[in-house]
Amino acid sequence: MSLLNSALRRLFDLLLLPFQSLPAAVGLVVVSLLAAVGMLWAFKRTSNQAGIEAAKRRIHAGIFEIRLFNDSFRQIWRAQAGILRANLTYLRYSLVPMLFILPPLVFVVAQLQFQYAYAQPAAGDRTVLEATFAPGWEKAGTVPASASGKPRATLELPAGLVAETPALWIPSQRTLSWRLRVEQPGDQTIGIRIGDRLYEKSFDGSRPLERRSPVRPGRSWLDQFVYPAERPLPSDGVLDRVTVDLEPAAVALPGWTVREMAGVPAWMTVFFLLSIVFAFALRRRFGVTF
Amino acid sequence: MRRDGHRFRAAALGVLAIAAVLPLAGCGGAGEARAPGRNVIILGFDGLDYDLTAKLMAEGRLPNFSRLAESTPLQKLGTSVPPQSPVAWSNFITGTDAGGHGIFDFVHRDPGTMLPFLSTSRVIADPDAGEPIALGKCQIPTGAGEMELLRHGTPFWEKLERAGVETTVMRMPANFPPSGSATRELSGMGTPDILGTYGTFTYYTSELFFDDSKITGGGEVVEAWPEEGVVASELLGPDNPFTREKTKAKAPFQVHLDPDEPVAKLVVGDEERILEVGEWSDWVPVSLDLGLCGKLMMTPSIPANARFYLKSVAPEFQLYVSPLNLDPRNPVMPISTPEDFAGELAEVTGPFYTQGMPEDTKALEGGVLDRTQFLAQVSSAYEEEAAQYRHLLAGWKGGLLFLYFGAADLTQHTLMDTLDPGHPRWDPEVSPKFADAIPNAYARFDAFLGYTLGHMPKDTLVVVMSDHGFTSWRRAFGLNTWLWQNGYLNVTDPQAALSSKLFGAVDWSATRAYGLGINGLYVNLQGREKNGAVPESERLSLMRELKAKLLATIDPKTGQPAITQVFLREETYSDGGYRDIGPDLVIGYAKGTRGSSASALGEFEPEVFADNVDEWPGDHLMDPDAVPGILLTNRPLVRPAPTLSELHWSILAEFGVESGAAAK
Repeated sequence: MSLLNSALRRLFDLLLLPFQSLPAAVGLVVVSLLAAVGMLWAFKRTSNQAGIEAAKRRIHAGIFEIRLFNDSFRQIWRAQAGILRANLTYLRYSLVPMLFILPPLVFVVAQLQFQYAYAQPAAGDRTVLEATFAPGWEKAGTVPASASGKPRATLELPAGLVAETPALWIPSQRTLSWRLRVEQPGDQTIGIRIGDRLYEKSFDGSRPLERRSPVRPGRSWLDQFVYPAERPLPSDGVLDRVTVDLEPAAVALPGWTVREMAGVPAWMTVFFLLSIVFAFALRRRFGVTF
Repeated sequence: MRRDGHRFRAAALGVLAIAAVLPLAGCGGAGEARAPGRNVIILGFDGLDYDLTAKLMAEGRLPNFSRLAESTPLQKLGTSVPPQSPVAWSNFITGTDAGGHGIFDFVHRDPGTMLPFLSTSRVIADPDAGEPIALGKCQIPTGAGEMELLRHGTPFWEKLERAGVETTVMRMPANFPPSGSATRELSGMGTPDILGTYGTFTYYTSELFFDDSKITGGGEVVEAWPEEGVVASELLGPDNPFTREKTKAKAPFQVHLDPDEPVAKLVVGDEERILEVGEWSDWVPVSLDLGLCGKLMMTPSIPANARFYLKSVAPEFQLYVSPLNLDPRNPVMPISTPEDFAGELAEVTGPFYTQGMPEDTKALEGGVLDRTQFLAQVSSAYEEEAAQYRHLLAGWKGGLLFLYFGAADLTQHTLMDTLDPGHPRWDPEVSPKFADAIPNAYARFDAFLGYTLGHMPKDTLVVVMSDHGFTSWRRAFGLNTWLWQNGYLNVTDPQAALSSKLFGAVDWSATRAYGLGINGLYVNLQGREKNGAVPESERLSLMRELKAKLLATIDPKTGQPAITQVFLREETYSDGGYRDIGPDLVIGYAKGTRGSSASALGEFEPEVFADNVDEWPGDHLMDPDAVPGILLTNRPLVRPAPTLSELHWSILAEFGVESGAAAK
């Protein structure tokens, strides 16, 4: 997983490099167009186009049947049943290409998430840095702690970041947290020294568009899958994950600033909307029916 | 700062919701009209006193005010009768007096029930609503109440809009719900919090013997104990409309305390803040949960915003939570015109206090915030308003721009003893430490004026005004006690009267007059009051008798008259259609004396006179001639404005709208 993530990170950093100095919408238009082309290509090759065409014709026929025989309950009922059967067939034919399209799309979305989902930190912004200790950390005996059991940790902050609070220890969650203030955004690395080990977390803010992740994962495979943007923490350390709060980014389109809504990041709204629009616009050129 | 761990997974699931979300996205702005003619900016500073302004100008502490005064001298601006903010601003808004706009006091009374109610707005029930439809433990309301603005008359901005002038009216008092007639407006004083009150804070504390006797409204105290380093409690919202049993909308929260340091993490829903002791949070979004019934009704929660102040974590836990303000991005009541204007402001300048009077004087009076903490809170509210103004001024296309600031008013109400060594609350140890608070509030406005002068379009007329002045409030006058002692009001049981509220022990059959509100005195009139005892034929003679006696009342401590003017309704107010809802007499207390707070709500005290030792040492609800406001402009007005009502017409005259005496 780590190797795959590393390769994908490099690939997407390279692919999106030309768009880093442009508005997010520009990159998203290109990415959506490429995604639409890719999906059309895959759909055409992995789907039963003739079957889909036939199912659609049967649905249309059923609708006409209802219009023509709207005084015959039996005929309407039979047409409805036919439409339902054709719909199920249509869904079955559509599912097969989805099995080919979705897995790579998930990896694409995972990478794009960290390029477009989080806003560039600005001077004056505040964020919470949180280090989660692994279960049983205290048994290792390598971490100095206060009489109350609070692990001792010191922050090594780059210029441009300031800790506004002392470390807050929540034993039930095994977390140490600090509130940080951004004085000068940049591509920064936050260091947390615990015992003789230094744990690092990136906090990038030099450009509006660049790879940013709220989580540096630890050993958890799921965390590594969901947060592929940073390499995992050392597996022999006492930390399970390190997080920073990042504000969601908006995407400015002409006449419409798209914002995160109901948990859906703004970029994703734009990406899927544009992908659908491009897919519809190009489907005849690719000779695809769906 | 939001917990972000699940955002990506939520986002992936949210893909399916995109189709539903998309239709919401195509909202476009309305076309914009260009304002013809002149440009006017009005800076409405509530409570700026003429004498104090002149003094600070002479001391060189208000250089921008002085700059303006070089072209037109600082002028007294006659205030309203009585000089209460909702009345005064309504005079300015409508160009008439209370007889024309119907606002006579902060509180009015319903003569049918003798109960007081807030004068500027009310909730009106849906006339078509029936009983809620029961569904097990849930219910479906069959109608929703609506807020109604009780201030009548035509606002000056409506007249200007009709003449094609674009107007922006920010936080005008007595304008909730917003009139809807300005191009842009944000409601101000009178706008409630999420509970429908003028602002109710909550104080969470582990103190066993916290004295909450000074919290007489506008605040709640909740016991909150740390258990294993965590304090868990709830923010309480309004009643849940979807449950048959009476329950509250609520938002659970936790405060995780560090075992060693004075720092804590606040967790409210998905929101987290780390606060050190002595720190204020920014605005924290709060979703007040409406439970399963709310979810079934597709309204799972009520959005609100709150600010937190961590006073202490040890030895006692003490947390102040501001009144739950409306979320300007999704307000549950109308607070702006157009409706999304408040949200647009929040997007650009951040969330803000939507409650009409953000300065939490109740928390100061209740001993929950001290003066330093209160001033910090006042300052943050001011900064929000200033940021919004800078944003609006930057994009202003001309026309009329009005902005209201209330910070000086409430700072003077709560800290006037710091400028008056003769005040009963003067403490030689404490008061001088805050002696700069009020001058600083004035100086802040001066800086604001300076910013305006430096950033406004050329040839803009700037009007700096206040609705009334201010003075030290040393002596309290118990009007209802005076009426009782002088035989105009009778009680059934003298002992019970001293502890009863809202005229609880009054013998109405033997009562001829009663006081309600700070300045209002009503005749207990037959056919009007619920238990009226005075026939209409005796009303006027009784009013004249009361006036004479009140004017002859001498404060035994000062040897001076306690009351310098008494206004008879018919002699004072125009007959603009609403005169009859006002008090029969309005009391103009002598400078330094004011009606007692207890009497204003139908209570009695052992003595008529008392020293004012409340955390409210300054006031203006006195003789209007004693507390004029100010007027300052960067060039002479086309039409002079000696009073607030006249200023309404002067502003119109600047645009060539309804100018001249005939307009009135």
